[in-house]
Amino acid sequence: MNIMKTLNYRLKQKLDEVYTVEPNNLGFPLLTNSYHNVTKFFKTMPFIFVIPLSFIIAGILYFVFGTLVVKLATLLQYGF
Amino acid sequence: MVSDFLTSLILVLRNCVLLIFSPYRTMRKISEEKDYGQVFIIFLTIFLYFKFAYFLRDKPYPATLTFLVFILHISLTAAFFYFLSKVSINKNKFSSFIFTMSYSLLPTLIWFASNSLLYVFIPPPRSFSIPGKGFSIFFISYSISLLAWKIILMYLALRFSTKLGFYRIIYMLLLFLVWFIPYSVLLFYLKIFRVPFI
Repeated sequence: MNIMKTLNYRLKQKLDEVYTVEPNNLGFPLLTNSYHNVTKFFKTMPFIFVIPLSFIIAGILYFVFGTLVVKLATLLQYGF
Repeated sequence: MVSDFLTSLILVLRNCVLLIFSPYRTMRKISEEKDYGQVFIIFLTIFLYFKFAYFLRDKPYPATLTFLVFILHISLTAAFFYFLSKVSINKNKFSSFIFTMSYSLLPTLIWFASNSLLYVFIPPPRSFSIPGKGFSIFFISYSISLLAWKIILMYLALRFSTKLGFYRIIYMLLLFLVWFIPYSVLLFYLKIFRVPFI
């Protein structure tokens, strides 16, 4: 009986926690679906996507701006 | 007292690791936190970082002053979002803002601390040689990764503290930038922070 009470209590706590915020609605079903499709990658293990993406962005920046990227790195290194 | 501190320390370490692997679920839990010892530990770590950075900077301000300026702008930021969100939802808790904002400082702290260490071991300026360019690309991508993590944590912090939707959070962030960008420029000219510690 006690186990059931504890389980019920924990389930209620979990549900309260999960429903602390309403699901996002962006007004248009297409936008809302896209939002949910994109954000699901960032909810757990975001670095799986973030790290390769940032290397690609840094590579593109280098190919577009060339040595300016080296100057930016120097500037950022003085930025602490 | 010591056991409370150790408990808070373990919780901070646990939450920091979980923020890497499951930021959404962890930030949701953090928004319900009540243990202020965790906030104290995060702020203490930041203060220790400022103390460390003091020895590396050229003509630095005292670490205590830098820390006080940081406390001022983190308090202003939390208060700004709290009062702005109060307009829409009245039942928001200020404590929730304090906890989520404190934990969202984690990427900032990691970037500043690693940058200081790199300053010691691989001091700037970067050269235009192949290793110099390679390191620059690596450093920029490392900074972008941490910036992306910071944006994710900041968005989640606002989402769970304010309980508002996507559009309103974006409006709030834009309004925040209206005063925060000039404030950062001021700090830059005063040479307190070159990159804002937020």
